[in-house]
Amino acid sequence: MAANQRSISVSEFFAKNRHLLGFDNPRKALLTTVKEAVDNSLDACEEAGIIPEIWVEIIQVKENRFEVSIQDNGPGILKKQIPLIFGKLLYGSKFHRLRMSRGQQGIGISAAGMYGMLTTGKPVKIVSKISIRKPAHYYEVQIDTKTNNPEILNGRGNGLDIPAGEKGRNIMESKKIQWNSFYPATEDEEPQEVRSGTRVTIELEAKHQRGRGSVDEYLEQTAIANPHVTLHYRDPDQEWRTYGRATEELPPEPKEIKPHPYGVEMGRLVTMLKEMKEGTISQFLTQSFTRVSPAVARRICEGAGISTRAGVKKIGRDEADKIYHAIQETKIKAPSTDCISPIGEDLLIKGLHQVVPAEFYVAATRPPSVYRGNPFQVEVALAYGGQSVVQKVSAEVLDQLLDQTDSRTIRQFLVNTFDGIGNDAADKIIKEADFGSRQSPTKLNAEQRETLHHAMRNVKLSDGQGIQVYRYANRVPLQFKMRDCAITQTVMGTNWRSYGLSQSRGNLPSGPVTLMVHLASVWVPFTSESKEAIAAYPEIEKEIRLALQAVGRKLGLFLKRRQKVKQEGERRSVFMRYLAEVAGAVSDLNGSDREEIHSNLLRVANRVTKVADTKFDESGNKIQEEESFGDNVLIVEQGDPEEALKQRLLEGNPQQKLF
Amino acid sequence: MAKKKTTTAKTARMAKLNARDKKTLNSLVGMADDVERFASRGRAPHIEIPSRSLSNVKYNKSRKIIEMGSSKNKRELFNLSQARTYMQTLLVGSGCKQLIEQGKTTSIRGLYYLLKHTIEGTREETFVDQGDCDPVIEDVEVALNALREELHVYASNRGAMVGNIVVNDNGDEIDCSRMGSGGYAIPSIVEEEVMQFVSCKADFVLHVEKDTVWRRFNEDKFWQTHNCILTHGNGQPPRGVRRLLNRLNNELNLPVLCLLDNDPWGYYIYSVIKQGSINLAYESKRMAIPGARFIGLRSIDYERCDLNPSVTIKLTDNDIKRANQIANYPWFEPKKRWQKEIKKLLSNGFKLEVEALISKDISYVTEEYVPARLADQDFLD
Repeated sequence: MAANQRSISVSEFFAKNRHLLGFDNPRKALLTTVKEAVDNSLDACEEAGIIPEIWVEIIQVKENRFEVSIQDNGPGILKKQIPLIFGKLLYGSKFHRLRMSRGQQGIGISAAGMYGMLTTGKPVKIVSKISIRKPAHYYEVQIDTKTNNPEILNGRGNGLDIPAGEKGRNIMESKKIQWNSFYPATEDEEPQEVRSGTRVTIELEAKHQRGRGSVDEYLEQTAIANPHVTLHYRDPDQEWRTYGRATEELPPEPKEIKPHPYGVEMGRLVTMLKEMKEGTISQFLTQSFTRVSPAVARRICEGAGISTRAGVKKIGRDEADKIYHAIQETKIKAPSTDCISPIGEDLLIKGLHQVVPAEFYVAATRPPSVYRGNPFQVEVALAYGGQSVVQKVSAEVLDQLLDQTDSRTIRQFLVNTFDGIGNDAADKIIKEADFGSRQSPTKLNAEQRETLHHAMRNVKLSDGQGIQVYRYANRVPLQFKMRDCAITQTVMGTNWRSYGLSQSRGNLPSGPVTLMVHLASVWVPFTSESKEAIAAYPEIEKEIRLALQAVGRKLGLFLKRRQKVKQEGERRSVFMRYLAEVAGAVSDLNGSDREEIHSNLLRVANRVTKVADTKFDESGNKIQEEESFGDNVLIVEQGDPEEALKQRLLEGNPQQKLF
Repeated sequence: MAKKKTTTAKTARMAKLNARDKKTLNSLVGMADDVERFASRGRAPHIEIPSRSLSNVKYNKSRKIIEMGSSKNKRELFNLSQARTYMQTLLVGSGCKQLIEQGKTTSIRGLYYLLKHTIEGTREETFVDQGDCDPVIEDVEVALNALREELHVYASNRGAMVGNIVVNDNGDEIDCSRMGSGGYAIPSIVEEEVMQFVSCKADFVLHVEKDTVWRRFNEDKFWQTHNCILTHGNGQPPRGVRRLLNRLNNELNLPVLCLLDNDPWGYYIYSVIKQGSINLAYESKRMAIPGARFIGLRSIDYERCDLNPSVTIKLTDNDIKRANQIANYPWFEPKKRWQKEIKKLLSNGFKLEVEALISKDISYVTEEYVPARLADQDFLD
């Protein structure tokens, strides 16, 4: 028995427990791979101060096997770092610091590479270029799961250097190394060369499916939360799609901070004490933590009954314990919060407007707050109205969706595939299309498919429509484990009825609403390594609730006002309807001029309904029309819905085709 | 032939009714002038309509009739709940004007069809059904203080008359003692302009509730043996019948006796004949007959006539409610014999139809029941 005991490498552990990293099934594996690579690219670009432009290309090699390439225009990676970053688990720059970034642990991309290697046996291919003049490096890397170390396969373990410029491009072409050398440009523009960047290609066993939790959705949501990013996406059908940036400005660079004493646990405190080679306990406290001045350090020491001059070397386990408790009892200022860079209300609205067509947009950014000594900040944006996803789907896409689905009934298919479709809405569509409730979606013939498509487009869903909640942590969309997430739970726990939405107790509200909640923090408390849900700390929940209420109030105001306008319109139209009849009868009776009476009555009708308008306002809130919404609200005038649709087509759908 | 007759009749009537029609026309035009004046000044027009609800009805103790109070409702064009009826009111007005100018009359159903059309630019009908139209016609009547006849609209004919009387109806002399088994159908308009009494030998009027009972009396030649006029109103009598009874009572001084079922419905028919109805309170002075008397059936008749229990009909909850309501009407309240009558009905727990008397003998009602009451002068007031 004892002879069989041996240590386990991280790689071995995760190779067996791939679900912990988000590789539970082939469909999710594809998404996780794209996600990890894109997150890394964005982090890299922002740190280097480059406005990110990212290419995501997915090629289907054969059934259930895909080649995924992600390229960025970031700073590139130093030659010797490349194998470690892509071929060693838990290697990275982000784990040991407290700074807001997308990646945290240094597992993601190497785990994706490992998964690819395990399922296809193919290595990870990396191209990296750090400057327009310097050569690019090409590596084929594979992870040795036994030792958790990278192995370089090409160039006899040295990789391949590709010279800059035209010559390099020829080499890449001959060796079939993929690299986008130029930014896409319109015909009359000189294409700009990509000066630097990294491209990673992973071949893996996966499944591509559209709808909820898909790559498409992830990229769309990423575009919302990162309005400074341009994303080019080539899907497995070789269709290019571009999500353009809404701003040229990079988010302010988040600062790295020292830990706050409240956020440190006993074990970590002991480790930190050990790391400190010399000096007094007072020096240790002031140097290792934020917000600890010599005065605060003295109070902690007094609380612990230890001299401020005591040397760190002499602090044992018991003293450390005393210090730990003294910290909890000492009043220490909350950490500075300038280490967080929120998206900002303006950009939130811009981002949401780019991707979600709606009538009303509102955003709220809360002031930063602290949980367990970690600063964090909550932002919420809400879009109301507009079409739901089901109504945007084209007949071709629906065909594909129907072919791919494994749902057994149409109802299941609708609910599982489309966001914002609840059971009620699905039933409405099925009823409109006049299908049986048990009908299988895969067995529909062409005519029935057309009927279904027609029904999906024409059913009015705003009542039965479920709300869509987009969750973000440090600008990264979270797509799974919705129910476990503190964000979803807080949205469900908030009373939306007072803001004019319908909601059954303890559920998500319903209505044509897209809600986006962003949690930015130096350390986002995820419930698991696969980063799918945020843990429910009371401080976080409270901030989310306050932000939701802030946007809720404005939504309520908007809905109330819209209701009023609608009522007035109806009132007027009722009068208008009868005026011609009345004028006709009057003219029959006394022989007066019919037209004149009609126009006189019309004038009165307009005046009467107008009077009613102002009366309504005076008796209600005495707030002026324009001011009452406050800042950070965008209202898109909706004329005739068909006109609005045409308009949207003219303006260019965000999902415009690139080529 | 018939056509020629009507045209001559029409011209004759036109000449005669001109003054009255002119007055009606004037008030109709006045209604339109109001709208024109309001609209040209940029103000919201409205029509004032006397309220026809129970709350606006008063019992005039000295005249012993139900009269309409003075409260009025404003009907506004620019009021969401009234806009449609406002439009309908004006439409009815214009329809009546058309009828008066052309010297024609039509039924309320005819007027409904005349005015029914789709409102331009919508799918809405001016009137959905006749029930939508009838109350508006009554509104116009009260608003203009004009009678239905003056608006050239009539209700459908219901009710018949036989007896020792000769009338002139629209130029035709009609001897009501020679009307066979069907009798003379009482027209809806029996105003003096249309119908004149030529001669009358009868001593009183016997009004029965419905056709079946009336036929029994006619077949037995009751009106010959008792020298009376025999009428029926087919349930709740229409205006024509009530107006005719009123004229017979007023102008010829004939007492009016009523033979109705012994149930709350029969009581209410009597109440309408005697005091006038709540809905048409504005017409009470021409319609009500405060001197009318109630012969029967009485709730004591079950014992008095020794009737078989199987001819009784159980009172429904609705009947009981209605009976209590009627007992509380101010015109029934002070009458002790009526209170006793209603109390007895309620304690019996059943109602009796006049036809129940047939169980005694086919002609019991004409040969024994009514003659006995007449002999004793045994009536309820």
